[in-house]
Amino acid sequence: MSKPSDLIQGTLDLLILKTVALEPKHGWAIAKRIQQVSGDVLQITQGSLYPALHRLEQQGWLKAQAGITDTGREAKFYALTAGGRKQLARELESWDRLSTAIGLVVREAE
Amino acid sequence: MTRVLDVLRLRLRSIFRGGKADRSLRDEIELHLQEQIDEYIAAGMNAREARAAALRSFGPVAPIEEQCRDTRRIAFVEHLARDLGYAFRSLSHQPALVIAASLSIAVAIGANTTIFGLFSQLFLAEPSAHRPDQLVQIRMGGGSHVSHRQWRDLNESGALAGIAGFSIEANVNWRGPDQSVSLVPMVVTANFFDLLGVPVARGRGFSTVEARADRNPAVVVISDRFWQQRLGSDPNVLGRTLVFNGEPYAVVGVLPRMLRSIPGFGLAPEVYLPVSRALAPDIDRSDSGLVQLVGRLKDDQGVAAGRAALAAAARPLADEYGVKNFATVAEFVPVRSVDALGSLTIVGGFFLVLLAAVGLVLAIACANVAGLLVSRATVRRREMAVRVALGASRRRLIQQLLAEGFWLAVFGAAGGLVIMAVLGRALSLVSLPLPLPIEIRPRINTTLLAYTAVLTIATTFLSALAPALQATRRSQLTGLKQHGPGDGGRLLSMRRMVVIGQMAIAQLLLVTAALFLTNLARARHLDPGFDIEHTLVAQLDFVEGRYTPVTRTAFLDSIVERIRVLPNVTAASYAYGAPLTVRSGMTNGLDLKVADTGREFHASFEVNFVAPGYFETIGMPLRRGRGFRAGDGPGSERVIVVNEEFARRYFPDEDALGRILHLPGAANTTYPAQIIGIAGNGRHRTLGETQRAAIYEPYAQWRGERRVAHVFVRTTIPPERMVREVVDIIGGMDASTAATVQPMHDMLAFAFLPSRLGAGLLGTLGALGLVLALVGMFAVVSYSVSRRTPEIGIRMALGASRIAIMRLVIREAIALAFAGIVLGLGAAWFVTSPLADFLVAGLSPNDPRTFGVTAMLLLMVSVAAAWGPMRRALRIDPAMAVRAE
Repeated sequence: MSKPSDLIQGTLDLLILKTVALEPKHGWAIAKRIQQVSGDVLQITQGSLYPALHRLEQQGWLKAQAGITDTGREAKFYALTAGGRKQLARELESWDRLSTAIGLVVREAE
Repeated sequence: MTRVLDVLRLRLRSIFRGGKADRSLRDEIELHLQEQIDEYIAAGMNAREARAAALRSFGPVAPIEEQCRDTRRIAFVEHLARDLGYAFRSLSHQPALVIAASLSIAVAIGANTTIFGLFSQLFLAEPSAHRPDQLVQIRMGGGSHVSHRQWRDLNESGALAGIAGFSIEANVNWRGPDQSVSLVPMVVTANFFDLLGVPVARGRGFSTVEARADRNPAVVVISDRFWQQRLGSDPNVLGRTLVFNGEPYAVVGVLPRMLRSIPGFGLAPEVYLPVSRALAPDIDRSDSGLVQLVGRLKDDQGVAAGRAALAAAARPLADEYGVKNFATVAEFVPVRSVDALGSLTIVGGFFLVLLAAVGLVLAIACANVAGLLVSRATVRRREMAVRVALGASRRRLIQQLLAEGFWLAVFGAAGGLVIMAVLGRALSLVSLPLPLPIEIRPRINTTLLAYTAVLTIATTFLSALAPALQATRRSQLTGLKQHGPGDGGRLLSMRRMVVIGQMAIAQLLLVTAALFLTNLARARHLDPGFDIEHTLVAQLDFVEGRYTPVTRTAFLDSIVERIRVLPNVTAASYAYGAPLTVRSGMTNGLDLKVADTGREFHASFEVNFVAPGYFETIGMPLRRGRGFRAGDGPGSERVIVVNEEFARRYFPDEDALGRILHLPGAANTTYPAQIIGIAGNGRHRTLGETQRAAIYEPYAQWRGERRVAHVFVRTTIPPERMVREVVDIIGGMDASTAATVQPMHDMLAFAFLPSRLGAGLLGTLGALGLVLALVGMFAVVSYSVSRRTPEIGIRMALGASRIAIMRLVIREAIALAFAGIVLGLGAAWFVTSPLADFLVAGLSPNDPRTFGVTAMLLLMVSVAAAWGPMRRALRIDPAMAVRAE
């Protein structure tokens, strides 16, 4: 199972923002979605998920709203704010830059 | 103590941690587990296994909760607490700064809270009563007061939970140990204490049953002040008998010290008496205005519903009395509500002027503190740069500098409250020459504390925000290097702007102060039309029903006869009213008819009833004709004296002397009265009034049943020295009559009161503003000189004369002051116009002389403030200065 330290610093925020960009989701669904899309490579532990969600909410990039889950329970859904959308764009850009740079270095080394 | 701390901790937690947020987090986690369990069950586990597996995969819950909490509160609360702590420590190394800044703020906040405290006590404070929010002040159509029967009928109608009545107009005479004293009591209906629940400190209020008017109630509730000052805090006061108007009353209760009376406006009657025939002989007349009404709404009754119920109850009563407009409820508003402030006219306006003035004083003080903080910022440049280098954001630095400003404001506010308490104590010792018992003292209560808190926050931002923005400007923080020669210029220019603003505000305050001082001077020199320096006045209050008009005249005649033979007395007389006091006589607007020509005209004029020798005694000249004689009595021809203004206004083309006027008498009749004399003009009600017309009638021909008279004595020695003898003569003839004997000029204190108060308060504020602005000017010129020390040194080295150096420094002060003065005068031109209402006629708020004189004063003071720094500039040693460079 991937520990949070396996994720490159700051990428958890990017993953969360990207995941809720499509539609508002609650915590469990966010974790599940990241796990599924990454083909079970990325597993987010609850210990890092919820503090991250709260931090993003505090910074005004996510906003919480009430909703009903697929199983019919009431839950707190997180949605992207306008500021969050901008932040997502910024994070994507820096991710691209970083991954390109790393890619260059890694290929060079081969 | 620990309990208090616990409560405090819980409070803080509920505010900052937010129990609600915690709960929602727990819900969130629970939901997460449920979803996980569902998934495991779908995968084939049983419910117990699934729950255990879910919990296992989730891991420990508590740390997650704690971490989430951290992200919520860390941003704000922890930073705030840390900043406040850091700011406190950092300030504790700067005692001089703290003292200077806090003192400056304390004086200004003290002035603000005192004025606001007085204002709120006078106009906003709820009365001391049970559920004051249920109380409404009521006025029925046709007048402010209703008769005893009308009150009873309304109260018993059941429209409201109850209605009480009170009146604070008539005086009673209390037989004190030495002499009779005239007091203004609160005369109240029997249900007053039961219905309103006015608190009583000792004993009790009188009950509805015992105080019923038809039982001739002989009970009294006294104020704390009366108990302490008149009865020497007698511990056995309950049950003690006090004599009012010659009748004994038993004390049943003493009111608490800080009582806010039902009518408000600081009114503090000394005694509360139940209304009765003894106090109000016309109690049975259905049309006499006896009491004002205050009602209590029923528990579930709103204001609108109460008003409707009262109107419905009043309609049949109006028919019964045959008073048509009684059916309308003219006023029905909660006591002390904004609606009830309709009566807040000139006094309220004056307070608003004061509040604005103290606000400006605070602005000047804040500017001084800002100046101090700016200088401090230059010293701390390195510290700021280090912190930026270590990763502090500009926002955090600003927040931290604001925290320092906040502490200064808090110290200042605390000092301000102390100043207010001291001022309040001093104020309560001053007895104002007012006709009614007024007690005003600012008190510390929640309203005042809230106001102080707002001032503290405003002070924080006004004094610390600009310096904080300035100090954290990026260009200021570029490196750890010592500041070079070029910077600091911006700081200086900012401080100069601040000083210009201070000068402008000081100029505005000075103009206002000067206006009110000029006003006082003018009021003093207004000629009242009679002599106030050699006249002694005795104000007499008779006990109800003791004298008929005939015996009253005889009594007054015999007093005057005895006084006339005293040594050092040249004349003595008496009259109903005394000019320029609250009881100056009556104002009439009547249709009059000239007997021989038949000409009718409408006249408005003052009426006073005066005895023979009145004009000579008060030193009012008789221009023509004669004054009254002993022969002008009840049986003889009716005669009158008019003043010059009356003759000029109503007899413009003919000679008024000798004319016979038909004056309205009792019950639609008129009586002819001949004008036998024309007296000089005088002031009647206020010194600033426009000249009024007046008619004087012989006292002996007057049938009015007034309980007041004034005896006038003209002396050759200072009138103060005759007081004792006059008191003894009156007291020796009738101990039940209260006599207040004073020199005329003391008696007129009331007439001077508004201009005196205005001059005193605004003069003080103007002086305060001037001093604070002076401090600001001194600081900025000092700073400028120390910054220019190398420049001055070079100039000296190159041979600049002392005069040139002086000019260099003084020119700066003058330039700054001049800019401020121009701005201030411009503002004053617009702002002071509404002040005309408070000034004597003929004094313009935009008086060019006032503007000129105050501008000169401010300019001179500015030069004086620059004097110290200038001398320091002259002492600069060129060699040292250049080397330091």
